[in-house]
Amino acid sequence: MDAAVEIEGVFQHVAGRCALDGVTLGVARGEWLLLIGPNGAGKTLLTRLILGLDAPSAGTVRVLGRTLSGLGAGAMGRWRGEVGAVLQGGSLLAGLTVLDNLLLPLRGTGATRAEMARAARLAVTQLQLEGLEGERPRGLSLGQRRRVELARALIHRPSLLVWDGLTEGLDPAGVRETLDLLRQQHANRGLTLIATDNRPAELLASGARVAVLDRGRLLFDGSPAALEQAAAGRLELRYVLAGHP
Amino acid sequence: MRRPRAERTQSLCRGPTGWLEEIGLAWLTLASCLGLYLRILGGRDHLDVPAFAAALRQTGLSVLPATTLVALALGLILGSQAESVFEDLDLPRLPVLALGVSVVLELVPILVGILVAGRAGVALAVRQAGLTVSGEMDGLIVSGVDPVRFTLGPVLLAMLLMSFALTVWVGLTTCTALATWLWARVGVPPALFVDALQQSVDLADLFEALAKPLIFAVAIALIASVCGLPAGRDPDGLGRAATRTVIGAVTAILLTDLIFVLLR
Repeated sequence: MDAAVEIEGVFQHVAGRCALDGVTLGVARGEWLLLIGPNGAGKTLLTRLILGLDAPSAGTVRVLGRTLSGLGAGAMGRWRGEVGAVLQGGSLLAGLTVLDNLLLPLRGTGATRAEMARAARLAVTQLQLEGLEGERPRGLSLGQRRRVELARALIHRPSLLVWDGLTEGLDPAGVRETLDLLRQQHANRGLTLIATDNRPAELLASGARVAVLDRGRLLFDGSPAALEQAAAGRLELRYVLAGHP
Repeated sequence: MRRPRAERTQSLCRGPTGWLEEIGLAWLTLASCLGLYLRILGGRDHLDVPAFAAALRQTGLSVLPATTLVALALGLILGSQAESVFEDLDLPRLPVLALGVSVVLELVPILVGILVAGRAGVALAVRQAGLTVSGEMDGLIVSGVDPVRFTLGPVLLAMLLMSFALTVWVGLTTCTALATWLWARVGVPPALFVDALQQSVDLADLFEALAKPLIFAVAIALIASVCGLPAGRDPDGLGRAATRTVIGAVTAILLTDLIFVLLR
């Protein structure tokens, strides 16, 4: 397997509690992985490790062929150019306009003004953000902010997108439109996607591979069809799939 | 096994390990900023002009009225204190010589340092802590933007420029107020005051007086970053960052000044 992400025996302790308990998980390049689980399952912690925002208490995380804990500033900067992220709770810069937020990943990449303008125009059109370029994030609805975050995550054409809280702030139609856009990115250039959510019913139809996380432990890893079969015999999986918080 | 981030952040506030971590973070912060300036000089990066302009306004222009008032008050207080000495001694040049050294070499740089620490230092720490609390810092990181360069790069440059400008302004204002008081109350002619000042402060002293606030500015910026960057997601971190910055910066200013005095 040409792996985009390799997580091996990862433990993460938060405030003296074991929040990730020996998680091992791999994602191939071009694959879609839907990481589901109730609130507090450890999904956000795992995505933060994949994005290099935190270091694991134990275990290794390799993303796009690099072990993050050993990367220097220069190598980390180049690695960031291959990864896009939409974070739970929002991470747009409140003091910047939508356009300036969109262009953040292109800063310091050597992109010319014309290239930046072209990339911004494309992102604005794809994510239906016309007319919002000069707005500040606080003037946008939650759904609009999520679309700006997605546009920012894709503007530098990453090969891996990590999206924490896929349906956060999006109505069912918005989720469908977003998944269509991501499918297009996948078809055009083999985008690898790792998305988390706690409302699995809306997403299982996407056909992505599914991993189920609960209280820091990986309960299941396989296809949606295999998950349905497994859930028939495992109460804990049925409980998670029912969408209990 | 590595400790979780929250625990590591808390440990910054205590013990020798915390101090070492803070010094390490300060060094990395300075190196990152210098790297940015070198890239700008080499044409490989550009200065965030709107952020730089905002920092100039915040560091200098917004505190100019208060700074002027404080400088005037300082000059008048020193003049009033010197008045009694003039009454006891019949040597008008002597107190002016002593005052000149105190004002130009010590009081003005320290005053400017404290004003910059209270305004720009606290603002920087609170901004960095605020970005962390709101998750915007993570947004910068995942977008490949160095948070230190983004937040500190324009601010440090503005602090250096405005510290220099404020030192000149506060020095001139304080000396003018002092000279005016002595002329009006004791009859010391302004020409004698200027002559005595020139005699007491040579070129090396003047260079030191102008260099000190720049060193203070770097120390304030690094202390603010060390307090602001690891503030954590807890909103209480904002207040802690501000308090620690003021205490740390004022202490650093006085200790740095003491080193200058001992090395003189």
